[in-house]
Amino acid sequence: MLNRRNLVTYSIAFLFILALNFLMPRMMPGDPLSAIYGDEVLVAMAPEFKAHLVESFALDEPMWRQFGAYILALFQGDMGYSYYYNASVFSVIIGSLPWTLLVVGSSLVLSTLIGIALGIESGWRRGSRTDRTMLAGLMSLNGFPDFFLGLVLLLVFGVLMGIFPLAGALTPYSGLSGFSLVVDVMKHMALPVTALTLAHLAGVYLLTRNTMITVLKAPFMLTARAKGLSQRRLKYHHAGRNSMLPVLTVTGIWLGRLVTGALFVELVFAYPGVGYLTYQALLTRDYPLIQGIFLIVAIAVLIANFAVDLLYPKLDPRVSYAH
Amino acid sequence: MTHFRLDVSRVAIIILAISLLVLPACSPGEAQDSSQMDSYTIADATGDWGYPSPYLRYSRGPGYTRMQFIFETLVWKSATDFVPQLAEEWEYDERENAYTFKLRDDVTWHDGEKFTAEDVVFTVDYIKNHPDPFVTLIGPSGIKEAVASDDYTVKLYLEQSYAPFLNDIAGTMVIIPKHIWEGVDDPKSLTGPEAVIGTGPYTLADYSKEHGTYLYQAYDNYYLGEPVVKEIKFVRISEEMIPAALEKGSVNAGDIPPEVVAEMEANGLTVITAPVAWNAKLTINHQKEPLSDKGFRQALACAIDREALVQITQRGHAIAGSPGMVPPTSGWYNPDTPQYEYDPAKSRQLLEELGYRLEDDYFTRDGQQLELELIAAADYKEIGQFIKQQLEQLGIKVDFQTLEAKAVDARVEAWDFDLSIYGHGGLYEPSILKRVIVDEGFNSARYTSNEELNHLLEGQLSEMDPEKRKDLVFQIQEVYAEDLPALTLYYPKWYWAHDGKVNLYYTRDGIASGVPIPLNRMSFVK
Repeated sequence: MLNRRNLVTYSIAFLFILALNFLMPRMMPGDPLSAIYGDEVLVAMAPEFKAHLVESFALDEPMWRQFGAYILALFQGDMGYSYYYNASVFSVIIGSLPWTLLVVGSSLVLSTLIGIALGIESGWRRGSRTDRTMLAGLMSLNGFPDFFLGLVLLLVFGVLMGIFPLAGALTPYSGLSGFSLVVDVMKHMALPVTALTLAHLAGVYLLTRNTMITVLKAPFMLTARAKGLSQRRLKYHHAGRNSMLPVLTVTGIWLGRLVTGALFVELVFAYPGVGYLTYQALLTRDYPLIQGIFLIVAIAVLIANFAVDLLYPKLDPRVSYAH
Repeated sequence: MTHFRLDVSRVAIIILAISLLVLPACSPGEAQDSSQMDSYTIADATGDWGYPSPYLRYSRGPGYTRMQFIFETLVWKSATDFVPQLAEEWEYDERENAYTFKLRDDVTWHDGEKFTAEDVVFTVDYIKNHPDPFVTLIGPSGIKEAVASDDYTVKLYLEQSYAPFLNDIAGTMVIIPKHIWEGVDDPKSLTGPEAVIGTGPYTLADYSKEHGTYLYQAYDNYYLGEPVVKEIKFVRISEEMIPAALEKGSVNAGDIPPEVVAEMEANGLTVITAPVAWNAKLTINHQKEPLSDKGFRQALACAIDREALVQITQRGHAIAGSPGMVPPTSGWYNPDTPQYEYDPAKSRQLLEELGYRLEDDYFTRDGQQLELELIAAADYKEIGQFIKQQLEQLGIKVDFQTLEAKAVDARVEAWDFDLSIYGHGGLYEPSILKRVIVDEGFNSARYTSNEELNHLLEGQLSEMDPEKRKDLVFQIQEVYAEDLPALTLYYPKWYWAHDGKVNLYYTRDGIASGVPIPLNRMSFVK
């Protein structure tokens, strides 16, 4: 549970992350003005206009004052103002966040559930034909990055067969509503979710299978067998449950990447998520927006860690005695 | 148009090109036969370019393109020339250094109010107080005063003689309604539907920042008649999928990579290519020995085969660079510009004149081997390797490194380099020449030591007689090519494909001050 020591650890981590979030984007070479205005600096930016921008973005202030202002604003719930989007960082992120959570969240749940299920079956039947087929199939899948799988899926099911749409999160201006809108959104998310699920399925599967094999050799399994428990109970309740611990850790790490984890897939599918937003923010050196996104990532990681900490003793009570 | 591209997408485009060739094509979209088309969809990989209002759109060309369906300027451009827009006619008075614009009297704002000269005067004053990235009204290109002599006549007094005034100011500055913007102190705070009330053929029906989509509706009371399309949509599709969407007929137009041009044409789509507007340059540190010597720079130019560079690194989808920077396709191009044809023997001769001798395959002077450092962003990797190979063949050792783009810019700005590769657009209007030859900034050669060149660059900006100005621009190319503070390597070709239902074209010298996107609003008006 959350005791005082935990709280202190989390707070220190959080403050450290805030400082890093602030410093790192500013350490990248280049400045936001030339990044935002790009080649058009040549066509457009008069010295007067440049001075106006530097002033309004407070780029002429010393770094520590910018940092002070940032922290102060943050504690008032103000995440800053995006240079590029001309809007508050909060409103920019909140527009994209639900779409990312939808796609990455669905694929996280799917890949974890399917991965664990397959891993348990495979480990239980170690050395059998089913095990070998699954192992070979998923191992080969493991080598492909998510965006590549996405492209292949797009070419086959989008371009050639025409079953799924080529881009976006919904059909723009289709006038759909209610149930048909839900179907439309599902159709658009099908391929990106499949790509992400396939890309991460193998990791979960291999981990579960490995742990399963180790657990099967544990003395308590022998005891359980000796007690004459049913195969079902042995497989799922005793071996399966104990194999989930490392998977939980990995899923926790993954959960932290929930926000930006789909960057490449979002690019390939032109999906309106935070990954795409991050890409854009980095290209344009939009410091406040980069900070805002990384802040959300940091919070997600901390929450995921905390959740894993809470769940661990539930799955394996031995963890609580370890202190 | 950005030149940032993940390597991922390069691979993707190649995969896509192959699959489109090998596999059977999909059926094209159904034809429409009504006189006014219901809807026209434009695909774009970048999507969101801001609320299409003068102060909320994002600063670059695509943002302006999305705004020009709603907001209009005093004059406009067709594929070939300046054309009347809000002003029916205009006249320049040299003695007063002022332009007089006779305005149309039948124009209404989208909210029904009448458009008058007061709106123009207001716009000029407003931009002077609230700078706009596209229109600079203070300084050399500035307007001293705007005066409405009656409801439909407005006179703009210039600060100085400014040759590109029609292109850069009158043809770029969108007029905003006084009755709405009056009293708005912070232009970015006007975010509602009133911020998109203009005089143009379309009104904004919807904009989505996160989806990067726009929906425009025809403005039926448009003074030039009913627009030809009822609805225009902008949708975001990744650049790899735009060709497939075009073939499926789910979009009507979009920009396409050069690799799929032949395939698009074979499928009955119309492919158009922009007059080149962008160039990649070999930037030379002319402040540093031995690059400070003109002869040395000329030796470099003769040693790099720009035709082969285009074939090898750009797979032929580009035009070889002219040392005068102005592209051969431009009306401002001087055919007598020195070209420095590929001639390694000439390079060797030039280097020998400077005291270099070939020893063990490399040129050496005073016991020191000639070695140059070439830095470039990863986007220019192939070009850098090509140049390295050619110079080493000649006998100059080259240390080539790729760095992050902004790191390259920073080192060039600090003169901490020998050679670098850099690209920029804006080649339509010759006023660019001064900005990238003598002005400050990493993207300029900052070459100020030739008085004659400085004089010519200043002169062409203030020369109001087009013929005389052309003569000056011709001379600039000759002097610049002779001195070679930088060498233009190539001009890439850009393509759009569309289904022909609307006649898309590239505007002369680009939309407004030079946006190379073929979406002139007049394509959508009868």
